[in-house]
Amino acid sequence: MRLGGYEVKLEKKVRVTGWEAATISLLAILIGLALVGVIFLQAGVNPLTGYKAIFSYAFVNKFGLPLTINRSVFILLCTCAFIVPMKAGLWNIGMAGQLYGGALAVFGVALAFGAKETQNPTVAPGIIIALMMLGSLVGGAVIGAIPGFLKGRFNTNEIVVTMMLNSIGFWLIAYMIKEGGPFMGGGGEGEGFKLSQSIFAPMVLGGTFTIPIALGLAALLYFMFAKTTLGYQIKAFGLSPSAARYAGISQHNVPLVVFILGGLIAGLAGYHYFAAVPGVTKIPLNYGDFGDLSFYGIICGLISQGSPLAAIPFALLFGGLTNGGRFVQGQLQLGYGIDYALLGVLMIILVAFQFFYRNTIVWKKTEREP
Amino acid sequence: MWEFAARSLNASTVFTIAALGELIGQRSGILNVGIEGVMLFGATLGFIVAKNTGSYLLGCLAAIAIGGLIAALHGFFSITLGGDQVVNGMGIWILGFGLTAYIGYPYTGPLDMERIPHLAGLSPFFFLAIGLVALTWWVFSKTSLGLRIRSAGESPSVTEVSGINVTRTRYLSVIVSGMLMGLAGAIYSLDYNPVWSINFLLGWGFIALALVFFSMWNPFILLGGSVLFGTLWQFSLNPQLILPGVLSRYIWRTVPFIITIAVLVLMSTKWFSSRWGAAKPEALGLPREEE
Repeated sequence: MRLGGYEVKLEKKVRVTGWEAATISLLAILIGLALVGVIFLQAGVNPLTGYKAIFSYAFVNKFGLPLTINRSVFILLCTCAFIVPMKAGLWNIGMAGQLYGGALAVFGVALAFGAKETQNPTVAPGIIIALMMLGSLVGGAVIGAIPGFLKGRFNTNEIVVTMMLNSIGFWLIAYMIKEGGPFMGGGGEGEGFKLSQSIFAPMVLGGTFTIPIALGLAALLYFMFAKTTLGYQIKAFGLSPSAARYAGISQHNVPLVVFILGGLIAGLAGYHYFAAVPGVTKIPLNYGDFGDLSFYGIICGLISQGSPLAAIPFALLFGGLTNGGRFVQGQLQLGYGIDYALLGVLMIILVAFQFFYRNTIVWKKTEREP
Repeated sequence: MWEFAARSLNASTVFTIAALGELIGQRSGILNVGIEGVMLFGATLGFIVAKNTGSYLLGCLAAIAIGGLIAALHGFFSITLGGDQVVNGMGIWILGFGLTAYIGYPYTGPLDMERIPHLAGLSPFFFLAIGLVALTWWVFSKTSLGLRIRSAGESPSVTEVSGINVTRTRYLSVIVSGMLMGLAGAIYSLDYNPVWSINFLLGWGFIALALVFFSMWNPFILLGGSVLFGTLWQFSLNPQLILPGVLSRYIWRTVPFIITIAVLVLMSTKWFSSRWGAAKPEALGLPREEE
């Protein structure tokens, strides 16, 4: 194609360097934010004022910052849950269902130890907390194992299966916490029962102990993909399942393993939000919102190009944006759901930008024809 | 009983038209896993336009237009830019889910319009759906346009060599496919259940996607599958009509999703695919490399 005196050509990229990927990702985010700025304008708010309000609440305000961190940890866990299958070329959009599974197991354990009836359980709280956490891992992994097993054994489309499991999990929770379900709280508003104070998650340096766990997990995954055989097998499978087969990597096991790992991490996200974040400690009425929030994991995973460490700053950014967005929509009288709008716009911009991960635009001055 | 049957057929209308759209796109080789997003756009915009103008016709037209537009975007990403169709479809889904949540929120609640007249409980869209199924079958099996679309989905390079513009054929199919998905969304939000709330489709689009795999890309099997799932869905909403007191209603709500998984698993077994697997468009989901 010719533009002015230049020849413009597309060239396929063989590989993307870390810097290029970071530049493309940041550009995508900036364009996404600019587009959402149009929504601010349409609502009669100066976008700069809007973003200033969002960021100052999310990252400076002493009430806003802890909320941001809790959301970011949740998003980071959901991102890791998305990344592991992504490395194997599989789509886990079932973080919502898996975290519901985790939450169900957490409160199942609490219920088994009589947390619903008594404020002072007889078993040492430390043991109950550990079992609750373990339960969240198992609950998430069980839900995650379903699409993984079906993919490995029958090559069943994992997108549809994980999405179906999201809806199944959603209604299972409704059954457990509403209309006299086993987890129904005393208030009768259709919420889950509240955990007693003695089995609240322990705090580390003023934050929940799930924060260091999530960060450690991201580092562990990074190590797994960089240095271990399992990580190598997953990546090889992701690049070419048939080539991986010739290298002796099991076609059945890789999908199962990545989905179990993903589900386990998403289950932990369920523990984090419903049992560890101060002020929640129950399955709230609006638990579906957290399922929706988990979809930020998809964006975060794509934008960090599957790197668990790169996901940390992005998770922090998205945690802040959604938290601040929720806050300013009341303050600046924006419509509800600015964080949802941001989710949608960012995602589509990111998809458009996929193109630049694969191609470069080359400009060359053309010789003027005589 | 007839009332239940009619409601079920009305529910299956939404599945039929949405899945028919997906089928048309897939026949040309373009997979759109964002069908739920396109439906949400159609449903929300159709709802808003109908509420503001008081006209069902304008609502449906708006839904068809936005559906076509969003699908054209998917076409641009998948055909022109040649990106991964699953990634693009996921983008379309999340765009629809996020943006319609924001746009539609002020309209939360019932439509408050006189209902579209039904014939013995059956929605006029049900008859439209049957007409569209027959039309699609006719176009695919009896016309040269249908042959062009199918060959674009089977072997794009051979098609190109035989003098057919694959790009144009695919764009055409994808846009028509989006129009149908948008219309299906509007049928849900204007006729089947005229109440708007956030992300109210909750999986209908994904079930429709599974229905296409289930149909072996045949419009008539698709219609049968849709009727089955429409009935199942309707039953899961009101289980007490047929099985009073058995299981909680929330548990019944999970049943259509469980059956979708079960059917999908059956479809992907060796036993099944070795018998009927050949119906799958050969080039489905593959980006086309320019030689």
